Amino acid sequence: MKLVRAAALIIAAWQAAFAADYVGSAVCRACHPDVWATFYKNPHFKSVASAKEPPENTGCESCHGPGKAHVDAHGGKATIIAFSELSPEKALDACLRCHSETLARANIRRSTHTQEDVVCINCHSIHHSPAPKYLLAKTQPELCYGCHTSARALFSMPFKHRVNEGVVKCTDCHNPHGAFDPTWRMASRPRMVDQREANDEPCLGCHADKAGPFVFEHASLRVEGCETCHQPHGSMNPRMLKRPTVMTLCLECHNGKGTFGGFGPTFKSGIANPGSDHNLANPIYQNCTTCHVRIHGSNTSDFFLR
Amino acid sequence: MKTLILLLGSVFPAIAQPPVAPTTNAPVGSPNGDNVENYNISQSFELGYRFATLGGDQDMYRATINYTDGVRLLSSSLFVQSRDGHGTWFDQIVLNTQGLGGDPYESANLRIEKNRWYRYEMLWRENAFFDPALAVAFGEHLENTTRTLQDHDLTLFPQSRIKFFLGYSRNVDTGPQLSTVQLFDSTGNTYPVFANVHDQQNEYRLGGEAMFLGFRLNVLHAWVDFKEDTPTGIISTPELGNTTGLGTLTSFTRAEPYHSTSPYWRVALFRDNKLWAVNGRFTYVDAVGGYVQNELASGGTEFGNLVTQQVLAFGNARRPALATNLNVSFFPASKITITNQTTYNDSRTVGDAVYSQYLMGQPAMPILPFTFLGIRDFANSTNLEYRVRKWWAVHAGYQYSDRRIAVIDNQENFGAPAPAPPANQPFTQVNTLNVGTLGFRLRPWKPLSILADAEIGRNSQPYTPISDRNYQVLRARADYHQKSFRVGLNARTDYNTDSITLTSFASRSRNYGADFSWTPSQRFSIDASYSKLHLDTLGGIFFFINQAPVNATSLYVSNIHAANVGARFALSKRLDFYAGYTHTQDLGDGRSNPFGTTPATSPLAVFAAAQTFPLRFLSPQARLSVQLGRQVRWNVGYQYYGYAEQFSSLQDFRGNTGYSSLLWSF
Repeated sequence: MKLVRAAALIIAAWQAAFAADYVGSAVCRACHPDVWATFYKNPHFKSVASAKEPPENTGCESCHGPGKAHVDAHGGKATIIAFSELSPEKALDACLRCHSETLARANIRRSTHTQEDVVCINCHSIHHSPAPKYLLAKTQPELCYGCHTSARALFSMPFKHRVNEGVVKCTDCHNPHGAFDPTWRMASRPRMVDQREANDEPCLGCHADKAGPFVFEHASLRVEGCETCHQPHGSMNPRMLKRPTVMTLCLECHNGKGTFGGFGPTFKSGIANPGSDHNLANPIYQNCTTCHVRIHGSNTSDFFLR
Repeated sequence: MKTLILLLGSVFPAIAQPPVAPTTNAPVGSPNGDNVENYNISQSFELGYRFATLGGDQDMYRATINYTDGVRLLSSSLFVQSRDGHGTWFDQIVLNTQGLGGDPYESANLRIEKNRWYRYEMLWRENAFFDPALAVAFGEHLENTTRTLQDHDLTLFPQSRIKFFLGYSRNVDTGPQLSTVQLFDSTGNTYPVFANVHDQQNEYRLGGEAMFLGFRLNVLHAWVDFKEDTPTGIISTPELGNTTGLGTLTSFTRAEPYHSTSPYWRVALFRDNKLWAVNGRFTYVDAVGGYVQNELASGGTEFGNLVTQQVLAFGNARRPALATNLNVSFFPASKITITNQTTYNDSRTVGDAVYSQYLMGQPAMPILPFTFLGIRDFANSTNLEYRVRKWWAVHAGYQYSDRRIAVIDNQENFGAPAPAPPANQPFTQVNTLNVGTLGFRLRPWKPLSILADAEIGRNSQPYTPISDRNYQVLRARADYHQKSFRVGLNARTDYNTDSITLTSFASRSRNYGADFSWTPSQRFSIDASYSKLHLDTLGGIFFFINQAPVNATSLYVSNIHAANVGARFALSKRLDFYAGYTHTQDLGDGRSNPFGTTPATSPLAVFAAAQTFPLRFLSPQARLSVQLGRQVRWNVGYQYYGYAEQFSSLQDFRGNTGYSSLLWSF
């Protein structure tokens, strides 16, 4: 019992000493007036306004750690947690101390961004954010384009989702904090695409008319996803298709060869090819969707005719 | 021009700039807003006139750019913030809008928040969509629709251990559309028809989150209702494509209401610890759709016989889908992270229908199709990351996926022999995928980071000939970042070989890019980037020409160069100038005519013409912003859009757009 009491006393003394290292945000204001002047606009100010949080969760010291040594030394990055000096994993740990408690960020530790040392402070600017929300270091899509140069190129193509125009955002489809495995393409790739809450590809969040369920599903869409035919970022081809003409797009799968998936009696003996009544020399058969209008799924026709 | 592009590419590797308006990077007014009692308020409005003149193909301009003349509220913002975090009804209001008043891309987002009590978020968007679809169905699949999206989310007690969520989303797509219908048999003619698109989806969400034993439990239940009520009718009688056909269509109407409801559950449990983190998710959706279709058409067959055909169909489709994930991460030492993820997805689509067709009032045999598409995925992946030193780390991973696809496509014709195979016996196919990854990252010097990784996958039986089978992906990136200067280089190759007997598919994608930004002072900044996107694919195709089978190869080659540069100059305290240029060009495979070496008279010429599609799309822009007073700026801008295909000028256009606006901040 004596030992327990002694241990409790030691812990209490240590806590008191530790708490004494916190000086409070008002002290920080003396040397950092520019930061403090607008800090009430910062979401982190909630911890100050609350007045109920312990010192380690309040204001400046909730992120930068106890400030006593920093004050005593009259500043310096070595005496406080300076994010510019932290390794990426330490910076991530510091933020996740509070921000792991959100479902949208529950996959952050296994995300590709984290794996590549892209952590919170690479995209968020805590004290100088120009963005109206989420303390982003830049507004979307410029923030994402900073690394994703090829995405920038794709959204500059003639046919694209209107990301540069501001009506679609990268985060409509992607979760930069990490996503669950996709429910299409054998749960393999892509890894940062956020599914809709009902498990579908994010495309169907806006393109609701393609979601179904249909009596006759275009199986490749359901099995492999929209990217089987479309380039989701942008394309040189109308409707963001992967090929300039529909015919070659369809025929590359509908060649009737091999053991690929299919439907009905052709299953496992290849995806059905156009029959001999489709004379491809005739222009009317060169545009498959002229007749197969319901190519995303149909309720009345297993050939998607109506 | 090519020299100029190369010069720009080498000096300023490139950037995609947003449209010239609204004005960005030229704020006015007090940066800190004004204090009114306990609140700080800042707001701005940019009101102006946008103009657009056009030469060339208007349809293609509308499909790709679509800006038009008119007065616009190009942007606006309102920011109200309580100064002590104890506002009476709210602590923060943030409102931003863009393009209101007629731009094709309009949006507004709003947040109202009262600390500890509630947070309300609203996002409203409207996107005008136009597509002449010239490459599809002879241009008859035109769409001129408007999609309006709105999302409302209310969180109660956002900072407490127990929270509640309420949400509503609405998605409406309306507008005219041209479609096609083929009548009256499988070799019959095809006619254009008019459809008045009207789709509407409403989603209602209700959920909560609670914390216990260090875990967070998040539960959400939602209902999604979708309605499609698109009436279709005839607008004219010309048939498409087959100019020698004799068929006629004199009347056509179709009604096909489709309603579906998709209630879903999501339950998530997660916790992040010093030594481990766990994250589990379970979702289940049971989507049910029902439809009726009534189609009446009359006209003449290609043999000159009068015909009236009615199609009556009704039925249901149901898709229960389950997705579960369990992610577990361990941090046994400060340098090691081990993550394991298990995924199980199960989706089953079941459809049944009654299809009746009447020719000249005489019923044909009704058909009762029954379909089933079941997809079951199991995947497990493990990833190990080892931070060897502060400046370098390695990671490696392995994923195993097993997918089973089962299909029943059964159709009963009354009076006809039973189809083979026996009803309700599914065909099944099993795919297994093994994926290995390996990579490293280096930070030999604080401003410099280098990373590279490789992924190799082997799929036992890809579902489609173009799916991943034997694939390998290599990626590398180097990034140098000083305070005001940043340059990055990246490369990615993605090769896939999907060969089996009699056919093959291979694709090779190689992307290289560089980006650069430099802000030496507040008076000058420049951003630039360049990307080279190469893709070549080869696939076996099979078709008939004049009833003779043809085995051929489908080739596709795309060589895209995309370059952007944008520079901002603060010419004086009151004068801000921005200039930018975007150039995207597909050089194709270098051929000088659309058919390459294939004779234009060959039946295969049409396939040769689809092998590559060289075109150029460019857009220079400039913007001048003058501060007229402490709170007012005058802006004027110009942006040119040029679209030119190499082998045909039919769809080319030259768009001149611009604007003049006043930005008022107070």
